[in-house]
Amino acid sequence: MEEKIEALKQQAREAVASAAKNLSELDDVRVKFLGKKGEFTAILRGLGAVAKEERPKIGAIVNAAKAEVEALIQQKNEELKARAMADRLESEKIDVTLPGRRATAGHLHPLTQTLDRIKDIFFRMGFSVEEGPEIEKDYYNFEALNLPKDHPARDMQDSFYITEDILMRSQTSPVQARTMEKNPPNAPIRMIAPGRVYRRDEYDATHSPMFTQVEGLVIDEGISFADLKGTLELFLQQMFGEEVGVRFRPSFFPFTEPSAEVDISCVMCHGKGCRVCKGTGWLEILGSGMVHPNVLRMSGYDPKKVSGFAFGMGVERIAMLSYGIDDLRLFYDNDMRFLRQF
Amino acid sequence: MQVSIKWLKDYIDFDWSAEELADRLTMAGIPVENVIRADEGLDHVVTGRIDSLTAHPDSDHLQICQMNVGGEELIEIITGAQNVKEGQVVPVAMVGAHLPSGMHIKKSKLRGLPSNGMLCSAGELGIDLSKFTEEQKDGIYILPAGTPVGVPAKDVLGLDDVILEFELTANRADCFSVLGLVREIAVLTGNTPHLPEISVKEDAGEKAADLISIGIAEKDLCSRFSSRILRNVKVGPSPDWLQERLKGAGIRAISNVVDVTNFVMVELGQPMHAYDYDEINGHSLTARLAKPGENLHTLDDSSRLAKGTELVIADSAHPAGLAGVMGGLETEVTEKTTSVVLEAASFNGASIRRTSRAVGLRSEASGRFERGVDTENTLRALNRAAQLLQDMGACQVAEGIVDVYPSPKAATRIEFTAEEINRRLGTDIAEDEMKDILTKLGFTLEGSGSLTATVPSWRGDCTCMEDLSEEIARIHGFENIKSTTPNGRMVQGKQGEKQNFVERMKQILASQGLTEELSFAFTSEEQLDKLLVPEDSVLRQAIPILNPLAGDAPLVRTSLLTSVLENATRNLSRKNTDVRLFDIAPVFLPKELPLTELPEERLMAAGFLTGRRFDVAWNQGNEQVDFYDMKGIVEELLAGLGVASYTVGAEEHFALHPGKTALFKKGRETIATVGELHPQVAENYGIKQKAYLFELDVEVLRKYANKAKRIESLPKYPAVTRDLALVVDIDAPAAKIEQTIAKNGGKYFQQAVLFDVYTGKQVGEGKKSLAYNMHFQSTDKTLTDEEVDAAFDSIVKAVAKNFGAELRA
Repeated sequence: MEEKIEALKQQAREAVASAAKNLSELDDVRVKFLGKKGEFTAILRGLGAVAKEERPKIGAIVNAAKAEVEALIQQKNEELKARAMADRLESEKIDVTLPGRRATAGHLHPLTQTLDRIKDIFFRMGFSVEEGPEIEKDYYNFEALNLPKDHPARDMQDSFYITEDILMRSQTSPVQARTMEKNPPNAPIRMIAPGRVYRRDEYDATHSPMFTQVEGLVIDEGISFADLKGTLELFLQQMFGEEVGVRFRPSFFPFTEPSAEVDISCVMCHGKGCRVCKGTGWLEILGSGMVHPNVLRMSGYDPKKVSGFAFGMGVERIAMLSYGIDDLRLFYDNDMRFLRQF
Repeated sequence: MQVSIKWLKDYIDFDWSAEELADRLTMAGIPVENVIRADEGLDHVVTGRIDSLTAHPDSDHLQICQMNVGGEELIEIITGAQNVKEGQVVPVAMVGAHLPSGMHIKKSKLRGLPSNGMLCSAGELGIDLSKFTEEQKDGIYILPAGTPVGVPAKDVLGLDDVILEFELTANRADCFSVLGLVREIAVLTGNTPHLPEISVKEDAGEKAADLISIGIAEKDLCSRFSSRILRNVKVGPSPDWLQERLKGAGIRAISNVVDVTNFVMVELGQPMHAYDYDEINGHSLTARLAKPGENLHTLDDSSRLAKGTELVIADSAHPAGLAGVMGGLETEVTEKTTSVVLEAASFNGASIRRTSRAVGLRSEASGRFERGVDTENTLRALNRAAQLLQDMGACQVAEGIVDVYPSPKAATRIEFTAEEINRRLGTDIAEDEMKDILTKLGFTLEGSGSLTATVPSWRGDCTCMEDLSEEIARIHGFENIKSTTPNGRMVQGKQGEKQNFVERMKQILASQGLTEELSFAFTSEEQLDKLLVPEDSVLRQAIPILNPLAGDAPLVRTSLLTSVLENATRNLSRKNTDVRLFDIAPVFLPKELPLTELPEERLMAAGFLTGRRFDVAWNQGNEQVDFYDMKGIVEELLAGLGVASYTVGAEEHFALHPGKTALFKKGRETIATVGELHPQVAENYGIKQKAYLFELDVEVLRKYANKAKRIESLPKYPAVTRDLALVVDIDAPAAKIEQTIAKNGGKYFQQAVLFDVYTGKQVGEGKKSLAYNMHFQSTDKTLTDEEVDAAFDSIVKAVAKNFGAELRA
């Protein structure tokens, strides 16, 4: 009897080792030996034929053998599962170097993105956005800005006229006058006016008959030229980095006194001198100045009570410097290959 | 305005290099645009004598020159030039020279023989060729006999000067002169200028006033007219030193009389004119308006008919010149001239500007008058010119000056305090420093505490305290003013609802795969034609620009579609076949033409879609976009903006395919138009693939946008879904069927998702099948089958009744 058990055990061991190539085969082995109708069960059932005093001994042997086979099967089971997982993983391998699937994203125009950055910086400094019409009265575009007809400085801007008194605005500055006019006299102002402006310039790498400007105006009691410097330095450092050099150069605009051109250290060569800055190390970036008393008076403000500063900048120029673009026409040709880079 | 360093140094001392001077002036508000060195590239160019000249053995046009360049040995240079002879002195570029033309001189071989340099033409040295003959231009520059050998060429060519080119601002008329620049340099250096003493020896006997009569008929246009008479004039070339100064200022020498008037103009800033006295009819000159139709015959030998708005200087018969712009041909000073009338006048800048623009003539003189000249300067200019010509021995000077100056201008006086200036600048500059700066600039200061500054006659731009603040700031130095930030009430930076709305629109459209374009606001009749805009449409009322750029769109756009199509077409022509663009920008609609008031600026949004639905990729399909892609974008835009309960119906639009156009509406108002580009419009634009457009009015859309977004809480009880497949007539609009379903779905109805549309054999000719997945849900219980069945039945009955819909088997 004991030999028979031993033989059966050996048989089971072999069956597990050889026959069981996959989990279902292994299960067949388990059923054959350990199942309800399996070999070991049959032996246990046949214990009745064994002498009574032998029974506990034989029973124990059978159970031990059965446990041993169970353990073998369990072990084999784990081996097979691990192998099956390994096989599956191997078979599911892909070429991860193939390009990923990308959604067709749209892009905001680089000038919109640049303008958004400019607006954000000024919002944080408490400036609000004001708007005005693009087809504008000569009065607001020029006269209210201390530029009477026949003023030589009008030559600086050749404009598109609609009638003698109406034109495509050549700057966003008319929004200054409009904002002051709609305000109660001497009310404080901190505004920027972004928008499209038009000048009679042939379309080339640095000129366009339409471009984007941001005008700024601060009016309050006691606003000084030092405030103008501080505010614009802060803006330019936010826009071009803390390290950027800023210099103010005396200049002339009919609507400001004193007037200053604002230069930043060249963003390409960091002031060493290169093609972009024409070797000077500086780039003209802003026009600015203390609001001329005539401008305040014409729009109902009293220059004895309040003072202010104004500034203006071209968004195209800032975007060109920020992104290293050397031809302004790229902005208005709207080539998808260009726009999708932003 | 340009001037040479030599001329400036005639009158003021400074040790600064040209570059440093340029920088100092620029930082003081006198912008120097360029520093031009005439000797640029002339290192290693020396004078050399041709000792011998022999023909090259292997060439019929090359010659071998043995050149004496001042060294112990001769050097051999091969030249192709034909105008050289033995014994001539010529400029020689030695090995290592880098000429202005960019040419680099190296040792080389020409047809086997070594050449150690190059003989140069004037052009190769960067010399202005305008005074050269054709032969001189082409050949080697033959220097005058006796020119020393072996010295730097720039010294003998007078190219050792440095020119400053100014980009002066419109307010600083006074700096359009050497005198003005010298004043500024004096303030910056602290040095005292040494200006020339002006003195004229008049010939007793003849009085100018007896020889000429001067009159001003237009006092507003001519505030002063002064003149002197020169007798026994010998017209000829002016001396070299004067020619050199003029050349530095970019002015060509003509003759001593003309050159002197130009010299004085540049030196003192007062434009002058010289007339041939004997050619002046009646020996009288009057500043008057031209008579309409009068002939204006100017120095450039062109004739114009006067409009009557031009100020002229006329003799007793006819105009002898366009005042301040250009002299007349008849009274021109020529070699035959023996008596000259010198004019120094002050004309109204605006009038000169108008005339100069109208006749298309701009001159050194007109530029100065436009900006404004110093009316107090005329006598000085006349005396300086007379002195110079007298010193040259070119004339005698008649006694006296005829000076017509009807209302002498009183000096401007500005009252101010140092405190006011400091408050404006945010500075703490002492009163004494302010006084010092202004005094050096020529102002006369009185008082202390409460100050009065008398403005010098040449600073017409200074009229108020603010102007003085600029003078003080620029000389004190902008860089010496500290930076602060404004004090004031705390304010919130913000933008309007409309701007926020537009930003939101842009974000949604970009998230839907459209890319933003920015377009010019111009259009043309041709573009409107191409778009098939009907002749009677308001869009045809585009505003014309009076002075459009040549060849450019001459109208202001009335439709954003023309802009979008222009950009799309440009992309397609560049082989960008997948174009997905949107634009948000105004169109301009006049109330009437010609404009009497500002037009309506209507903010529109438009989009264009064509090409593949997905970017080309190995794992994405290649299908093309269709109508429903564009419609989906608009639906998503409306959803994102909170525009709900609109209707969509098939309608027509001139630029769109009549069978593929949908209007989104709120009541009777159109909020968006979507459709396929009309095949005819596509053909007009040369677009060969199907393309889709949308267009909408931003302000109309904004009316219906829901600002506050309401979020529904998630349901606690499960939804029950039922599929419904209907067979209806092929023309039955899906939107209407959906409305009927929603209306009859009972209170638990949530939504019906159309998941299949089928036409074909299985449903029969003229029919289509629509399959919906319908959701029913309650917020407070799990629905029973009976409740859902009831709702389902009511839907089926309603669609059967309204559309003859049958359940699909």
